[in-house]
Amino acid sequence: MDINGKTYKDFLARIERQKIQNGSEKVNSQHKKGKLHARERIALLFDKNSFEELDAFVTSATPDSGLGKIDLAFGDGVVIGYGRINGRLVYAYSQDFTVMGGSLGAVHARKINKVQELALRVGAPIIGLIDSGGARIQEGVASLSGYASIFHHNVKASGIIPQISVILGPAAGGAVYSPALTDFIFMTKDTSYMFVTGPNVVKEVLNEEVTFDDLGGAEIHAKKSGVANFIYEDEENTILGIKKLLSFFPSNNMENPPFIDTQDKIERNVEKLRTLVPDDPNKPYDIKKVIELIADKDSFFEVSEHFAQNLVTGFARLNGKAIGIVANQPKILAGVLDINSSTKGARFIRFCDAFNIPVLTLEDVPGFLPGLDQEHKGIIKHGAKLLFAYSEASVPKITVILRKSYGGAFCVMNSKNLGGDYNFAWPTAEIAVMGPEGAVSILYKKELENAKDPKQMKKEFAAKYRQEIANPYIADEKGYIDEVIDPADTRKKLITAFESLENKHIEAPSRKHGNMPL
Amino acid sequence: MMVSRSKSKKQKFISCTEKNKKYEFVNPKELYIKQGKENIPIEIVSDKQGFVYIVWKKRKYLVDIIEKNQNQYEILVNGVSYSISVESPFSYKRRKYLAKNKEASKVEKIQAPMPGKIIEFLVEENQEIKEGEPLLILEAMKMQNEIISNIHGKIKNINFNAEDTVMKDDVLIEVEK
Amino acid sequence: MKKIKSLLIANRGEIAIRISETAKKMGIKTYGIKTSKEPNAFYLQHIDEIIDFTEVLSDIPEFLDINRIIFSIKEHNIDAVHPGYGYLAENPYFAQKCIENKIIFIGPTPDAIYKLGNKTIAKQLASTHQVPLLQGSNGNIRDSKHAKQIARKIGYPVILKAASGGGGRGMRIVEHEKDIEKMFRMAQNEADKAFSDPSVFMEKYVRNPRHIEFQVLADHHGNIIHLGERECSIQRKHQKLIEESPSVALNNELRSKMSKAAINIAKASKYRNAGTVEFLLDESGNFYFMEMNTRIQVEHPVTEMVTGIDLVEWQIRIAQGEKLTIKQQDVKLNGWAIECRINAEDVQSGFTPYLGTIEKIQFNKSKYCRFDSGITDGSMVTANFDSMLAKLICFGDTREKAIINSLNALNRLQILSIKTTIPFCKAVLNHPKFKKGEISTSFITKDMKQLYHQEPDEELIAAFWAALNHNVQLDIEDKTYVDYEKGKNMTPWLLNKRLKSL
Repeated sequence: MDINGKTYKDFLARIERQKIQNGSEKVNSQHKKGKLHARERIALLFDKNSFEELDAFVTSATPDSGLGKIDLAFGDGVVIGYGRINGRLVYAYSQDFTVMGGSLGAVHARKINKVQELALRVGAPIIGLIDSGGARIQEGVASLSGYASIFHHNVKASGIIPQISVILGPAAGGAVYSPALTDFIFMTKDTSYMFVTGPNVVKEVLNEEVTFDDLGGAEIHAKKSGVANFIYEDEENTILGIKKLLSFFPSNNMENPPFIDTQDKIERNVEKLRTLVPDDPNKPYDIKKVIELIADKDSFFEVSEHFAQNLVTGFARLNGKAIGIVANQPKILAGVLDINSSTKGARFIRFCDAFNIPVLTLEDVPGFLPGLDQEHKGIIKHGAKLLFAYSEASVPKITVILRKSYGGAFCVMNSKNLGGDYNFAWPTAEIAVMGPEGAVSILYKKELENAKDPKQMKKEFAAKYRQEIANPYIADEKGYIDEVIDPADTRKKLITAFESLENKHIEAPSRKHGNMPL
Repeated sequence: MMVSRSKSKKQKFISCTEKNKKYEFVNPKELYIKQGKENIPIEIVSDKQGFVYIVWKKRKYLVDIIEKNQNQYEILVNGVSYSISVESPFSYKRRKYLAKNKEASKVEKIQAPMPGKIIEFLVEENQEIKEGEPLLILEAMKMQNEIISNIHGKIKNINFNAEDTVMKDDVLIEVEK
Repeated sequence: MKKIKSLLIANRGEIAIRISETAKKMGIKTYGIKTSKEPNAFYLQHIDEIIDFTEVLSDIPEFLDINRIIFSIKEHNIDAVHPGYGYLAENPYFAQKCIENKIIFIGPTPDAIYKLGNKTIAKQLASTHQVPLLQGSNGNIRDSKHAKQIARKIGYPVILKAASGGGGRGMRIVEHEKDIEKMFRMAQNEADKAFSDPSVFMEKYVRNPRHIEFQVLADHHGNIIHLGERECSIQRKHQKLIEESPSVALNNELRSKMSKAAINIAKASKYRNAGTVEFLLDESGNFYFMEMNTRIQVEHPVTEMVTGIDLVEWQIRIAQGEKLTIKQQDVKLNGWAIECRINAEDVQSGFTPYLGTIEKIQFNKSKYCRFDSGITDGSMVTANFDSMLAKLICFGDTREKAIINSLNALNRLQILSIKTTIPFCKAVLNHPKFKKGEISTSFITKDMKQLYHQEPDEELIAAFWAALNHNVQLDIEDKTYVDYEKGKNMTPWLLNKRLKSL
């Protein structure tokens, strides 16, 4: 640039100063921790040269609050802006751990609010890359109010634009609630943590020794708490995951999800489906194998893979169009519904509904998990969440009953009278009020009491029940399901059915909001 | 303000084995492996039946990916399995940094190598064990398999009971080094 | 006895196919059992008539369900049943039931099965017929004092074994007298835990023994011959992995001594049909009777290869009352045969079973090889059945040539998507000690440093293949075109309604 005046000199000097501020020293300090720098993350996430940074030069408003000096670095520890991901406009903020530990002060918060507002104004997704020590103590209540306003913006945008939180370092105290309010949380193994109170406080209050990892590491949140929806080995893979997830979402709740030409034939031969489900109702199989065969090749992207594994949730494509899949997993706990799987499923369905993503349900469920533990913890209330979510969802909803469909679980898993658009069943389906073993003990109580060999007799009755009552044909003939289909035709049937529902709209009753059992 | 990605034409991939041996490949799609200063070409042959072979230095290797998760690959070469994680130069550095930290962690998790039923535990909590000592018996395929400790140490936790059914990779026992 | 015209094969996998082949050759119609555990199994394609057990509701596994099997045989009017190995092959009750129902059971009499199946009776039989036995406690040990007494009598080292045990559990080797009491108690505890029976007996412990077995054939007319030996020393935890015939450890003198012993046992038990007498052979050429297996063995093909005799054919012919037309002097062991068992096991993590679907299997046959396989493309390996998938049997004029042919054949055998014992078999066949014939049942634990064979640069190739695939994957993801515009195009119907509802 040809520079002849002081104006430009200052302009360039400032840029130079900022460059130094974000120089190799800072970058290296992150690298040494196994982490990328805030700017490197942004560069990886967005299409080449597409990111436009905003407020790069703002500094903290209160240099010294009496609680200690504040770093007056440009940007105040967070990079904000917008750019393109796979060609689409996305807003983002990325916390910079090298500036005061990424701590959140008033200006830092204001910057985040700014992109939150902008994203909502234009109807574009927003991604938060979080790597922060928490509230900036030196700024006192100002930083707390900053958190509160971030939360408020999160809630305002909820269900209007997709919000994704990516935990790439610590997220402690108040900081955890913004991610919790967004739609999906990513974490990176070994270098990210989330907890409301850290190990030191736990030690002081409860005198328990816990490590960062055991308290709030990525694996704990993926497997035990279910807080993290996706975990990855490293940051580069995490960022690839974000892009993949985004490819299923529309930019806002007015649009339909995007399309990818997957080159997978509609009438692909899926004869393997005929033999995948074992005839023996007590034998497990992997429902993910079924999903992989039905969905477009390599398109299935699982959500909350490690949490409540008895229910599989995830996005996939059918003939290039995005769908959400909710499927019982017979491999884990026979695919039974319990508290965790109910909440997992409910939250997933509500996301799909908010963003016009049709829902496919693959059902093979023996019922709800019985027992003291589950009842005392409120399976009634939590199971109702799944019921509520299915019933409320107005997107196209299709169910395929693969095998077991018993009792309350039949109703819950998107039955027709719950608003399901189409219900298909495979010939292997067993639909009844109760499983054969339970039912015959009630139906043939007397006979069994007087039998010489009650065990064998029960078996025979159960077989009879299975054949005569628990088959899909009764439900089919009475109209409770739409069609019994050849498993090999499932893919084709689903594509045609979902296509027929593309214009589906259900008038929502006018109300503030329903009262979901929480 | 623009933030741009520095992207050189050279794409470097670092394949790490279980024992942390590393192999570096620049632009593997150009189909050669560098040995010393020489680039020795690789040929990929696939036959009608769907078997894929790599031909290198006049040797033919049957290759087969049997598991893949993110950047972790399990590959059979001539039937022998290799666990490989493919890293970028940065993630490799990160891996090394984390490995250093992990050495400090003292707990070894013994995982189920396959789904099955636990027949019995041969050890108790707080028991000292030697490397190679059987820890429990897991039944799968009607065969009872001894799960063996790969380290010396003390049993910290036993996470299941006899008769429990476990899935692959479930942490059965935690051993303190 | 009548001629067999139809035969139920009460087994699955490779042995069902093996039996069906001979039956077909003899013009016998074969029946097989279809189970719900593998309704699309490969063996069913080799059988003339399938009996469907998939609807059967029973806790008893299909191939052990005596009543059901007997019922089906009668229902279909089948002449005979071949049990293969395992399952009902050595069940005297089943053999008895067959006789009662006028079904020809292809195997020995229930009496012989019972006697030879019972360790104590079998050993008594051996000792009264001049067959050498391992010295031992002749029954359970009462207490630690008793243990010490017996150990002194037979001499250290000794081995303590659980009376109701098997498979290596509850076994303790005692080298010195100072350990005997402690070890006895440990063995008792272990036996109690494992089999709910603390009874323990003692035997002389043979260091580095070889496993040598003799194949015998006996008809209903008092003719008994042997078909030479098989050496099955390559085993892991009593599971045989590689077998061969003949054995390098036997000269003509020893062979004739051992075969005499084998025939003695068969005679003593009034044996009919094909059977196998197992011996331990110690380093100084002493042999000891272990047990007699009253069935066709997994490793029978090596004998068939060197003798040219179809054992299954003779099983059937003997069962229908034919006279053994082969004389002992006609039996010649020509050349050498080696069998490699191909199991779905992960050798690299302790031979654990490996479950999954066999995407593809390919084997280019040659005239030196026989491939007895129970699998095909798409076969599933499940936890319901044994992990053995197939057997590769190779022939050579000499042992050296048989080894070379086996290695070549193993290289031509390709299986996709599951782990198998192929790399293990290669490692054994390439081992210098194996090549020299210096083997024993402790070969795997004592002599093998690495349990699987690696070609040079295999790891490098794996590393490259992973990197290349990852690179391609990343490129695909990077280049995927996401069409956002399509999501914005909506029919007026939908757009209108969506707008209104907000």
